Parts: sequence; C-alpha cells; structure tokens
Amino acid sequence: MVLFVTAVALELAAVYLLLRHGLWRVYASLSLYVTWLLAGNFALLVVYLYFPSVYPSYYWHSDSIDIVLRLLVVWEVFHQTFPRGSGLNRTLSKGLGIAAFCLLVFACATFWGYQNYASLRSVHLALDRSFGFVQAVMILGTLLMARYYGVNYGRNVRGIALAFGGWVSLSTANNAMADLTNSFLPYWYYLRPLSFVFMMAVWIWALWVYEPNPPIMESDAAALSQWTEEWNRTISTARTIIRP
Amino acid sequence: MINVTLFAILGLVLFGSFIFIALQGGRKKGLPDSSAVRAVTQIINLEGSSFANARRLLDDTDYQTLCSNPDLRKLAEKLRRERKQLVLMWISMLQSDLITLWQFRRFLVQRGVPSSLKEELSTLQALAMSFALLVFIKLSIRTVGPFALPRATRQAGQLVDSMSKGAAVVLGRIPAAGWAEIERSWANSAA
Repeated sequence: MVLFVTAVALELAAVYLLLRHGLWRVYASLSLYVTWLLAGNFALLVVYLYFPSVYPSYYWHSDSIDIVLRLLVVWEVFHQTFPRGSGLNRTLSKGLGIAAFCLLVFACATFWGYQNYASLRSVHLALDRSFGFVQAVMILGTLLMARYYGVNYGRNVRGIALAFGGWVSLSTANNAMADLTNSFLPYWYYLRPLSFVFMMAVWIWALWVYEPNPPIMESDAAALSQWTEEWNRTISTARTIIRP
Repeated sequence: MINVTLFAILGLVLFGSFIFIALQGGRKKGLPDSSAVRAVTQIINLEGSSFANARRLLDDTDYQTLCSNPDLRKLAEKLRRERKQLVLMWISMLQSDLITLWQFRRFLVQRGVPSSLKEELSTLQALAMSFALLVFIKLSIRTVGPFALPRATRQAGQLVDSMSKGAAVVLGRIPAAGWAEIERSWANSAA
C-alpha cells in the first residue's frame, strides 16, 4: 500500500514537472505515458480500496495496456536522440524502423510460442517479458547508436532512457524467474513495484531542470563530398598496396 | 522452460548494460547550447562586446610613427587623447553590458527558470570581480594612457563573453519555444 501511494505521488509530481514551463510540448509522448500512469494507477488504487473482488483482473488488464503504451517512451527517446529533419534521422530511421518491426514480430512470436500458461498471471507475465525485453533492446540500441555517432545526451533524455531501460529489463528478468519457480513470487511482488518507484524517482530528478539534448552539429555537403573524395583515395591506395 | 530461462538471463544482462552506461557518466556540464548563446545576444543589445576593433583601438603603431617625427608630436598627443576617450567609452559600455547581462539573468530566475543558490552566488562573485577589474583598467588608462596595458584591456571584452555564456546556460533551461515570450517580456521590462 505504501509503495502504491508513493508511486501515485511520484507520478503526480512527474505530471507537474512536465506541465511546468511547458515541458509537455517538448516531451509529448512521454507526457502521454505519464498521464496514463497517473490515471491508471489512481483508478487501480480506487478499485483496490472499494472493489477488491475485481482488483486482480483489473490489474492484469491495465498492465497489458501499459505494455503497449510503454512504446511511447521508446519513441520519445529515439525521437529526442535523432530529431526529425536531422541527417542522422534520415540515415538511420529506415533501418532502425525495420529492426524495430522485426523486434516486435519477435516479441509476438515468443509470446504466442509460450504454450504452458498455467494461469491468467502467466499469460500477462509472458506478454510483459516478451515486450519488456524488446523495449529494453530498443532503448539500449538507441543509446549505443547515439554513442557510436557521438550524439550527446541532456539530463532529461538520459535520465528517462536509463531509468526506463533499467526498469523494463529488470522486470523482464524478474517475471521470467517468477514463472520459472513459484518460490520467486514473493520477491516479484516487491521487486517490480520497488523498481518502478525508483524509475519514477529518477524521472523526477531528470525532469527537475530543463536540459534537452544538445543540437547535433551537422557538416555541410561540401565537407561530406571532400570526405568522400579522401575516403575513396584512401581505399584505392589501400587496394594498390594489397594488390600491387 | 528454455525460453523463460533465456529471458531471465537476457533481462539481467540488459539491466547490467544500463547500469554500466549510467555509471559511465553523461556529457560535460556547464557548456551552453550555441542556440541559447545566439538567443541571448539577440535578446540583449550588447554594445561593448559587439565592438570588434579593440585590437586596432589599443594598437600604438600610429602613435609611435607620429611621435618619431618632432613636427607631428602635437598631432600624436591629440591622437592619444582621442584614443583614451574612445577606450574609456568602450570600457564603460562593457560595464553596462555586464550589468545588463546580470539583470537579464535575474529576470530569468525571477520568472521561474531553475537555478541553484551556488550558481547565483558564483555569478555575483564573477560580476563583482569583473567590475572591479574594469574599474582598475579604467583607472590605469586615465593615469598612464590607453597604450600602457593593451593586453589586459583587450581581454576585458572576454569578461562580458563569459557572463553572456552564464546567461545562456540559464536561458537554455527553458524550451526554445518560450524564448520569444522571454524576449517580449524583457523588452517590456526594459522600456
């Protein structure tokens, strides 16, 4: 109960930070997801207190919606790292779009392939870990891609991406273990909400001040053509050395 | 079973990767966004620091050439006096730029842009020291002339630049979409 109320309070604080200084306009997808979290968890609290008989079913169904809406955070991190109109976005968006589609197909396949659903809980655990794993891979892929191209992160996106990635990956491992052995269930009940509260706390820290990603410095066409010329010259020299 | 075990292992590996990246640290702090620096110079009219010919103003070559000819000594003295007035005027403009930048920063913080007490105190310290240095340069120019401390005088412009970057760091903490509103409010408050 304490964790529940703490989570709702932190979500409320995150919504306030997004509304302050109009941050919701900059981080629209994240704002939508945080609003969903606040509304969903508040409704869950009401159901828990006044309609306890329908609470388990309501919990798992709202969790299923949450799994899909988490993709908004993935999109926000990608969109902020490689902004629309930037050269990196033009170069990478198609390839990364295909990779994201393949990962989603993989998530669906692993979910449907898992036949031994012992209970309603197991169906949701399977859904959560399949998509949680894919979302963690997408976030990690975006972070690694940004590092490869030397894209710097501001405090906002860095905090959001790392906390979310950490939470979904821990959730994936945690619920897989809960499905492996029932003895892990008591830990699952505490570890997941605890890690969620930690993620919300990091998000609040990240959004406390507005610090977006610094703009990507782009080279002009002339510099790129000069680079291509030098690259081709180097390659042909290397070929001459290899095959004299 | 293999499927679930694999997810448990991969989940832990991914979690470890995020922890590793988080521990590696972020980008360098304290460097303002270049667009924020441009916006500050657009919002505030910095007359002193926009003057580009400080080097020429403080160059004594013309004065020395005139001095080398005894017939032109009077003209050399006149040039020196005029240069002295111009340099003093430029330093006064730099002082006024510093005050304007400090007022702009205070205006941003007053409008709710986040800043820590430590930052505010270090800004005040930088303002006081820069101002004191400019007063000292002014005194030295009045007593020994405009060509005595050319290097120190040239570097006076950099004091305003560093103060301007401080204001840009604060401005960069609000979304670029709000800068136009800041510019309007600043113009209204300055009027």
